[in-house]
Amino acid sequence: MTMKRPWYATVLMYAALAMFLFFLGFPLLWLLSASFKSSGELNSLAVNLLPAEWDFSNFGAALERQNLLLAAGNSLFVSIATMVITVLLSMPMAYALARLKGRLRAAGTVWILTSQVFPSILIIIPLFLVLRAISLNDTLLGLILVYVTFTLPFTLWMLQGYVAAIPTELEEAGEMDGASRITILRTIVLPLLAPGLVATAMFTFVSAWNEFFLALVLLQSPELYTLPIALRSFLGAEGQTQLGPLAAGAILATIPSLIIFSILQKKLTGGMLAGAVKG
Amino acid sequence: MSSVATKVPRQTKRVGHRARAQRREAVALVIPALLPIIIFSVIPLASGVALGFTDATLKRNAEINFIGFGNFIELLGDHRFWGSFGIGIVWAGSVALLTLVCAMALALLLNSDLRLKGLTRVLALIPWAMPPVVIAIVWRMIYNPNSGPLNGALEVFGIPGVNWLGDFSTALPAVIVVGVWSGIPQTTVLLLAGMQSISAEQHEAAAVDGAGAIRRFWHITLPSLRPIIIAVTALDFIWQFNSFGLIYVLTEGGPGGRTMIPPLFTYLEAFRNREIGYASAMGDVLVIAIMLILSLYLVNQFRQSKGSRA
Amino acid sequence: MKRIRGIGAVAFAGAAVLVLSGCQQGSATNSGDGGDDGAVTLQFQSLSDQPATQAAVKAIVDDWNAENSDVQVKIVQAGWDGTFDKLVTQFTGGTAPDIIHYEASSIVSFAADGYLADLTDYIDGDLKADISEGIWDSVTQNDEIIAYPSTLQSYMAFANADLLEAAGVEVPTGDSMTWDELQEIAKATTTGDAHGLGWGLGSPTAAMMSLALGFDGTFFSGEGEDASIEVGDAELAVPELVHEMTYTDKSVDPTSLTQSGSEVLASFYGGKVAMTVQGSFQATNIANDAPEGFNWVALPPLEGSEGAIQAANPQTYSVNIDSEYVEESAEFLNFFMAGDNLAQIAYADALIPSSDAARAEVEKLAADNPAWTQVLASGDGLVGPPFLKVEKYTEWKDTIATPAFQQYLANEITSEQLAAQLSDGWADIAG
Repeated sequence: MTMKRPWYATVLMYAALAMFLFFLGFPLLWLLSASFKSSGELNSLAVNLLPAEWDFSNFGAALERQNLLLAAGNSLFVSIATMVITVLLSMPMAYALARLKGRLRAAGTVWILTSQVFPSILIIIPLFLVLRAISLNDTLLGLILVYVTFTLPFTLWMLQGYVAAIPTELEEAGEMDGASRITILRTIVLPLLAPGLVATAMFTFVSAWNEFFLALVLLQSPELYTLPIALRSFLGAEGQTQLGPLAAGAILATIPSLIIFSILQKKLTGGMLAGAVKG
Repeated sequence: MSSVATKVPRQTKRVGHRARAQRREAVALVIPALLPIIIFSVIPLASGVALGFTDATLKRNAEINFIGFGNFIELLGDHRFWGSFGIGIVWAGSVALLTLVCAMALALLLNSDLRLKGLTRVLALIPWAMPPVVIAIVWRMIYNPNSGPLNGALEVFGIPGVNWLGDFSTALPAVIVVGVWSGIPQTTVLLLAGMQSISAEQHEAAAVDGAGAIRRFWHITLPSLRPIIIAVTALDFIWQFNSFGLIYVLTEGGPGGRTMIPPLFTYLEAFRNREIGYASAMGDVLVIAIMLILSLYLVNQFRQSKGSRA
Repeated sequence: MKRIRGIGAVAFAGAAVLVLSGCQQGSATNSGDGGDDGAVTLQFQSLSDQPATQAAVKAIVDDWNAENSDVQVKIVQAGWDGTFDKLVTQFTGGTAPDIIHYEASSIVSFAADGYLADLTDYIDGDLKADISEGIWDSVTQNDEIIAYPSTLQSYMAFANADLLEAAGVEVPTGDSMTWDELQEIAKATTTGDAHGLGWGLGSPTAAMMSLALGFDGTFFSGEGEDASIEVGDAELAVPELVHEMTYTDKSVDPTSLTQSGSEVLASFYGGKVAMTVQGSFQATNIANDAPEGFNWVALPPLEGSEGAIQAANPQTYSVNIDSEYVEESAEFLNFFMAGDNLAQIAYADALIPSSDAARAEVEKLAADNPAWTQVLASGDGLVGPPFLKVEKYTEWKDTIATPAFQQYLANEITSEQLAAQLSDGWADIAG
């Protein structure tokens, strides 16, 4: 747009932009600052954005406390496994949803949409009982399978949008040449789908990495806790809350998602819109 | 004649074979994903709905009896549940609405020719990437009545500090602000993508006709964004209504139940009071309520958009 | 088609591998039974959150493990926060540990649901005799002893001696201190930028229930499912006093009433409040965390109209009824509760040990620590409260009492409304 704008409008717009910048960015800034403050300073009731003296011990303390390192390992394992399984499972189904006509497709779409409506609180009780029945209660595997199931609607939604964006003519041409469906899938669809797959995989990783509620109920042994659960247990009701290590732990928990999101930013948007428009 | 007669059945046989092959293909493509969905989503969902009609508890070797609508009748008179339901509506409704307003403003700014757009886009990712637990931890620090930066800033201006999450009148608004903060990025990104798909010619044509920025927003941008706006607010509302972690860590429903949204209330009924039958009945009611609200909203919106087009 | 099946097979193989690894993980965490050498391993879930206490617990367990090669104990470290919900899912999920550390008022629910083993016949005779009848009573449900009571906390007032001096108030001494004295000192020490008292009543119920006993406020009568509630002047004495101090005298920091005890300690260290009421265990935290030169004292036990009486709600060690090794677990707990061992834990936690032997030991350990004199003195007034016999106490506490007390302390409702909410809410719960 190249239209003229009165100067005061420009000023107002910059002011608004600055406010957004501050509003969105400040919490992370404060968290960073707290993670470098000494416990004395955090307890002193003084409010400063910059630490009076930079204290790097919080990160070490965070890793030592409450098995945070173990929890990070659990989170990493769960997130990667969820990512791999979800992608493997959703690829064929997304293809089916996008390409095959009929009742199956309608049913799939309806399920994807309704699964958003049901509160996880309704599912969690029987889910807990189901997992207990198949001896997967209080295991990381149980959590992974549950995560896979719960991210599938969204990944399918995204992926089928990407599949739909691939012109069917390409596949038909392959069919003419006598290639089998699987060859077509592997040599034509898969390469074109790669960017979408990467975006979907990363999205799945972040959802699993950030998830709190299901892990809270489905994991009971402290040595299986994922990072969000371990962080939450930092905030003891009566025990001495150590804000410095807590902030440091929170920073560590944010970094992977933040990195992935900055890589992903554009693709994720494209994917969601593809799903919305073409679906 | 005879040759035709033999040909026809063969043809149908071939078609039938192809259709069957295709169906088998479809089944093979779908089954791997369908299995976990059935085991971990459909079965639990169905049994969750069914549990609402029983007196199940988490006692050791508890007996489960079918009690019909007993739980629902009890629920009708449970004023604490309905209080929590009201809080849930206020929470989800305000977050969805305020998120939309903020995200729209931000998307418009990002869609203009301002500098610093790139930086803002990167910063806008922060709330999206942060795990809800971390969001709650950060905002607890910010809202801290003694050492939080918010009260620190107020003090500079000589305004007495506020006990944001502890005071009965400010707790829910304070929590809503956090909800909006965490929801802005996703909504902004979607709106922005929608805006970018509006052709520049439309705007230029309108500008030539002498339409100001506000009129152009009202008559061109807003109507073309309508489907996205409807979808985004509806989804936001559902997600917020069902969200758990953020408020659980921020306030745990306090003070005095002032931020006790329905998922928290139901969680306490299930895992503190151990009445899972009654808790499941609550879940059933919540599902029906959401669907009702949602269909009202969607029907209303679509009717309006039809009306405005006609 | 074949290739598609191939993809499916790969996916399933991947899933199967994960199933196996997951099962291994599961069995590793759930194994109550020991390794190949026939030794039994007991899972012992401990909640102790003080580093010193954790060290003490570990030392005791190491001693036991060294002496008993056939029964090994493994500590599972958990935290106090959210323990109730976690135990609910552990018990129902069949993943509860063998030995469970918790507190008397909360395990009532688990006993009622049938998850705790009856320990009556396993408890060491000497230990039994060394702990008072009243404390044993606090862990007895339906004539079954469901836990070993270990340490007890009381609520104590701590004061910033410098601020008291600056206000011209003498630090109270003596055997006890009345609530009126506390109110007077709070008034005297309230200045422009400091309140006389900060009290972390964010989760107010436990403190209110316990301190009401000083005014003979018992709340409940009867046992099990037949318990009934009465909320009268005696029950409301403490909340009304806090309310008056906050909103009439303005000597209590209203913000503190919404915080946790630890959060208020920051204000205490910062000189924003002259006194603070805390669980006795905070004596350890104050000693460790207070800024250098911070001049603090523990005040004498708080005395109501009936005396310096508070609720004995001991920490407990119970055994999972589904454990294969109830007897072995009880044997370990007999060892764990021996005078020397219990004394170490109590001393590290600044809590009052349940047994006389451990108490004598703690008195020796703490001979030159003035705060400890008050901690132990406050222990003399601990009696078993009626609410420990109430099956649905935890439900009432979390869903009714806590929000009601919070509303009253925030000046949102009157004391009549508080009383009504507390008793009507009980009617709903007991239904």
